[in-house]
Amino acid sequence: MSAEPGSVERLIYESCLRLDLEDFAGYLDLCAPEFTYRITTYSAEIRKDMIWLDHDREGMQALLENYYDHVRRLGSLHRHVAVYAIDRQDDGLFRVTSSFQVTHTDLEGQSKMFAVGRYHDVVGESQKGPQLHRREARLETRELGSGSHLPI
Amino acid sequence: MSARSAAAWEAGPDIPATHFVSGLVYTDETVFEDEKRHIFGKTWQLACHESELPELFDFRTFEVAGQPLVAVRGGDGRIRTFLNVCSHRGARLVQEPAGNAERFTCFYHLWSYDTAGACVDIPRADGFRESGLKQEDCGLRAVRTETKLGLVFINLDDGAKPLDDYFGESFKTFEPVMGSGELEVFHFHRAVLDANWKAWIETNLDLYHELMHVTLRKTQVAAGNMEDRQFYTFANGHAEIGGVRANYKGYKGWGGRDAAKSLPSLDPDDLLVAQVFPNSTVLTRGTVMRIDTVLPLGPDKALLECRGIGRKGDSAEDRLMRIGHHNAYWGPFGRNVPEDAIAAERCDASFRPGAARHQIIARDEDGHGQDDALLRNFYAEWGRLMGRPAHNPINQPAA
Repeated sequence: MSAEPGSVERLIYESCLRLDLEDFAGYLDLCAPEFTYRITTYSAEIRKDMIWLDHDREGMQALLENYYDHVRRLGSLHRHVAVYAIDRQDDGLFRVTSSFQVTHTDLEGQSKMFAVGRYHDVVGESQKGPQLHRREARLETRELGSGSHLPI
Repeated sequence: MSARSAAAWEAGPDIPATHFVSGLVYTDETVFEDEKRHIFGKTWQLACHESELPELFDFRTFEVAGQPLVAVRGGDGRIRTFLNVCSHRGARLVQEPAGNAERFTCFYHLWSYDTAGACVDIPRADGFRESGLKQEDCGLRAVRTETKLGLVFINLDDGAKPLDDYFGESFKTFEPVMGSGELEVFHFHRAVLDANWKAWIETNLDLYHELMHVTLRKTQVAAGNMEDRQFYTFANGHAEIGGVRANYKGYKGWGGRDAAKSLPSLDPDDLLVAQVFPNSTVLTRGTVMRIDTVLPLGPDKALLECRGIGRKGDSAEDRLMRIGHHNAYWGPFGRNVPEDAIAAERCDASFRPGAARHQIIARDEDGHGQDDALLRNFYAEWGRLMGRPAHNPINQPAA
């Protein structure tokens, strides 16, 4: 494994930038064939962990390809990310923990906080460089108004 | 054909009064206040599913019509509900959304209550002796609580008819599904919507809006069995929809559903809907169930609570399958629930400033297809309880 923490960190930021720009092909390029994606959170009301979105790479591709067919929240999402920790594991993969804040900006330019949480990522390396093998977007925010058709 | 003048726009459509709704039902403050008193203060309201209180002394806090409530399973196994208010100075008694406690102790002066609502401890009680205040008179305010098919309902009106009488002949379609005792909640989320609560209900009762959802266009409308659909209306405003089928493979990226994994008595492609008047809707899609409840926070603000329900004792694999089926349509990242929320909010954005004046609920397909019969049934009961017709709610004040 020749990837360096710096390139892993750039991958995390790049993945957010691609989604912010709704460059879905670019986002998927950063994901390994075995990529899995989840949005999770804990319900204090039913006292259970919950999964709010769960896809493999193929499922993510279908979800993103269908995106523009939906009636969706207008405007854009902006993901502000801070990488907290990058740990190389014995299996050669990196475990990466990051914090995110997602804001929504409407068509009139008004921005509001949408969600906060943490990414728990697993990053491996390919010939193209570091790639996401797994992403769990763990939400602190559970009240998301009308929700979103886009992953976090 | 031409655009309309202001007067014509104000006058509304020239159709029967039962077939349109005035925008004032969404925006008028007096309507909103009367709804809290005449509807939410009088009708049975969903509190939670029994599986949310599985153990003795489990509790859940929630609100109805702005009233803070706590439901708790007592040491005798019975679920009771109380106003979540300390009898002493009126402080919110229980703060957490859920938990387990044999006693509720107020943080303020440490008055304590048992799970039957009795006041069981007043620190330094001697100080109240001179006033004549008795501890036995300081219990919590009990709220009527009954269960049906695993659903826990409360009623703020002590004189309300029993829950079974309220349901009457409705909800029987769901007895084999929900009466098995095999179900439990695995998903819960709340969403504050910039919309009147009824705008959300309309998304559940209006099958014509299938046309908004690309998923439903491809899985349900394309299935083409409009004549098989059947709309049922019942006393007290309740309603059911049966006979809707979905071909899930019609939407790119989705697969079929395994009959062996269906909820009791259901086919995997069935969609059943029950509207529990006024504000809860139960939907099943073969393998999974959603229950949503919408509560008014103001004329143009509503709190939506959505539950996802599957089988108790599912294997991890089956639970994941059910969660996936749930999240395909529902949840904050589902393909449909965000669209329904957007529809409710975009209607509100027109009614709030008075730009939109009326809503048309005039589709009649003999109780099949995409009939508006359930919307008309809803507003008939709404008008009966409010003492105001929905097409003209201000000129005829509540009795």
